[in-house]
Amino acid sequence: MSKNVLRLENITMQFGGVVAINDLSMRIDEGEIVALIGPNGAGKTTAFNCITGVYEPTNGAVYFHDKVIAAAHPTGKMKRMYAGNDPEKFKGMHVQMTPDKITHMGIARTFQNIRLFKSQTAFENVLIGTHLRRTSNVFSATFHLNDKEENRNREKAMELLDIVGLADVAEEKATSLPYGKQRRLEIARALATEPTLLLLDEPAAGMNPQETIELGQFIQQIKNDFNLTVFVIEHHMDLVMGISDRIYVIEFGKQIAEGTPEEIQNNQAVIDAYLGGNDE
Amino acid sequence: MKSKQSKRPFIITWVVVAVIYLAVFIAEQKLPATSMLFTVLKKGATYALVAVSMNLLNGFTGIFSLGQAGFMLVGAYVYGIFTIPVELRAQVYQYYDGGLVQFTVPVVLAMIMAGLAAAFFAFLIGLPVLRLKSDYLAIATLGFAEIVRAIFQWNNLGPLTNGSNMLRLFPNFNDFNLRDADGNVTVYLSTLIPFIISGVCIFLIVLLIRSNYGRAFKAIRDDEVAAEAMGINLAHHKQLAFCISSFFAGVGGAMLAMYQTTVQAKSFTTAMTYEILLIVVIGGIGSVTGSVISSFLFVACSEWWLRFLDEKQMIGDFEVPFLRNGFRLVVFSVIIMIVVLFFRRGIMGDKELWDLGSGAKKQERRAAK
Repeated sequence: MSKNVLRLENITMQFGGVVAINDLSMRIDEGEIVALIGPNGAGKTTAFNCITGVYEPTNGAVYFHDKVIAAAHPTGKMKRMYAGNDPEKFKGMHVQMTPDKITHMGIARTFQNIRLFKSQTAFENVLIGTHLRRTSNVFSATFHLNDKEENRNREKAMELLDIVGLADVAEEKATSLPYGKQRRLEIARALATEPTLLLLDEPAAGMNPQETIELGQFIQQIKNDFNLTVFVIEHHMDLVMGISDRIYVIEFGKQIAEGTPEEIQNNQAVIDAYLGGNDE
Repeated sequence: MKSKQSKRPFIITWVVVAVIYLAVFIAEQKLPATSMLFTVLKKGATYALVAVSMNLLNGFTGIFSLGQAGFMLVGAYVYGIFTIPVELRAQVYQYYDGGLVQFTVPVVLAMIMAGLAAAFFAFLIGLPVLRLKSDYLAIATLGFAEIVRAIFQWNNLGPLTNGSNMLRLFPNFNDFNLRDADGNVTVYLSTLIPFIISGVCIFLIVLLIRSNYGRAFKAIRDDEVAAEAMGINLAHHKQLAFCISSFFAGVGGAMLAMYQTTVQAKSFTTAMTYEILLIVVIGGIGSVTGSVISSFLFVACSEWWLRFLDEKQMIGDFEVPFLRNGFRLVVFSVIIMIVVLFFRRGIMGDKELWDLGSGAKKQERRAAK
C-alpha cells in the first residue's frame, strides 16, 4: 500500500452561519494525481485554503505525511452556530500553521485568480520561490556572501523556466505575459519551493482545448520529473478524466462521490449535481 | 546568459557617484564656507538617507509607516546624549546637575548606537503594530512618533534627555574640518563627511534590496497572500524591514543632529515625516535614486531657490504682487500638486540610475524586432 501524503479528517469550514465545507474527509497517496471537482461554489477552493493554512477550519484535522498541520474544533460563538458533525472529536487538538510554514513542509500551490508578483520579471518570480530554502541570513545576504547559493538558485530558476517553456520570456514583466503563460509561470514558481505535494487551483481556466491537452501532459511530466503528488481542482472534464487517478466530487460543501474516473462518470449523484438533477 | 546582468550600467553609476563626490570636495575647498550650497548639500544628504530608509519600508516592502520622525528623534537624542564632551555636560544639563551620562563615545560608535536604539524601538513597536494593514498601520506609527516626542520632553527623564531643553555642544559636521595648530581650517570636509556617511548607508540599503531578502520584500509588497504561499514568513520579514528602515532613520536622525548642531524633541514633528514622505513620492516610490535626487531638489527648493518668493521683489519700478513672507509655501504646494497630478510615478518611477541604460537598450532591442 502506498504512503499517505495528505489526509483530511472531517473538515468543516463555516463562515458564520454559512457552511462552506461540511464534514469532508479525503486522502491522497504518494505519486497520485487526485482531482477535486464540483459545481461552482461547492467549496473546492475553500478546501485548498484550509489545507494551505489560509483559513483555519472550524472543525477537523489535516495531516501531511502523517503530521498534523491543522486541527480545530468549534469554540466560542461557533459552538452554538456549528452545523457540522462531531464537534467533540477533535477536542484538545488545536494546531494552526501559517501558510509559509506549510509551504516550508512541502506543499506548494497555485491560485485560481493568478497571483504573480506583478512588478517583477518572470525570472524573479521563480527566484522568489527559492527564498524559503535559503541558508543565508540578512547580513550574509546584504554583503552578498551567499553568492554560491544565489547562483545555484538563479540556475535553478532558469531551469524551471526552461521546463515550463518560458525561458525566452524570462526577462519580461510577469503580468505582461499571456494568460496561459502566466499559469505556467505560477506552476514554475510553486515548483521552486521544492514541494512534495502540488496543489493546482483550476490550472486550465481560460485555456483553449489544445492548451488544455498540453497542460495535462505537462502536469503528468512534472509529476514524474519532480516525484510529486498532485491535487488539482479543475472544471475541464477532459483534463480531469485524462490525468486523474482518483476523483473526489463535492457539492454544497459535502462529498457526494469518490472514485476512479470511470466510476465518477457513471455515478448518478455526480450526473445529477452537474446537470441539475431532479430535486424531489 | 540572460540571468547574468551586464556590468556596464553599474560602472557608469559608480563613475557618476565618484564625480559627484569629487565635485563636492573641490567646491568645498574653493567656495566660501557660508555658501547656501553647502547648507543644501548637508541637509540634502541627511534627508536622502532618511528618504531612502522610508522608501525601503513604504516603497519596497509596502508597509505604509509614518513613524520616521519618531525614529529620527530617537537617533538624534542617542547621538547627542553620548557625544557631548564630559566637561561641557554641566553647561548643557544645567537644570539636571550635569545629567546622568558622564562619558562620551566616539562619533562613529554613537551613530551606530543611534541606529541600534531606533531599531530596538522599531522592534518593540513592530510586535503589535505590524499586524495592522495600510491606513491603520500608518495611524499607529504616527501615534508612536507623537508619543516618543512627548516622552523625550518629559521632565522626569531630564537627567537623560535634558527634558524640554535642547541638547547642544556635541560634535557637528564642522568638527570634521581639518585644522592646523592655530585653528584655521586647512581642508574642508564638513560637507563631504555627511555625503560619505549617507552614501555608505544608502549603498548598504541598495545591497539589501538587491539580495534575496530584497526580493522577498518586493514580493510582500506585490502580493502578501502569494508571498506567504511561497513560504515567506510575513511577520519575520516585515519586522526585519521595519527594524532596518528604522536603523537607518536613526542614523539619519544623528546626522540631522549634527547638521542642526542642536537637538530638541519638539522639532521632530509630524510635518517632518510628511516632508520625507513627499520626497519619497516625488522621487518615485520604489526608487532609491529617485529618493536621493528628490531630497536634494526638495531641500534646495525649500531652503534656497524659492527663498526669493518670501521677499519683496522689484522689477524696475514695478513691485511684483503677492510676494511676501509665506508665499514660498504656496508656490511649493502648487508644485507638489502638479507633481502628484501629472507625474504620478515621480521623477524615477521605480527605475534606478543603473536601469536607465539597460532600459533604453531593451527598447532598442524591441524596436529592432
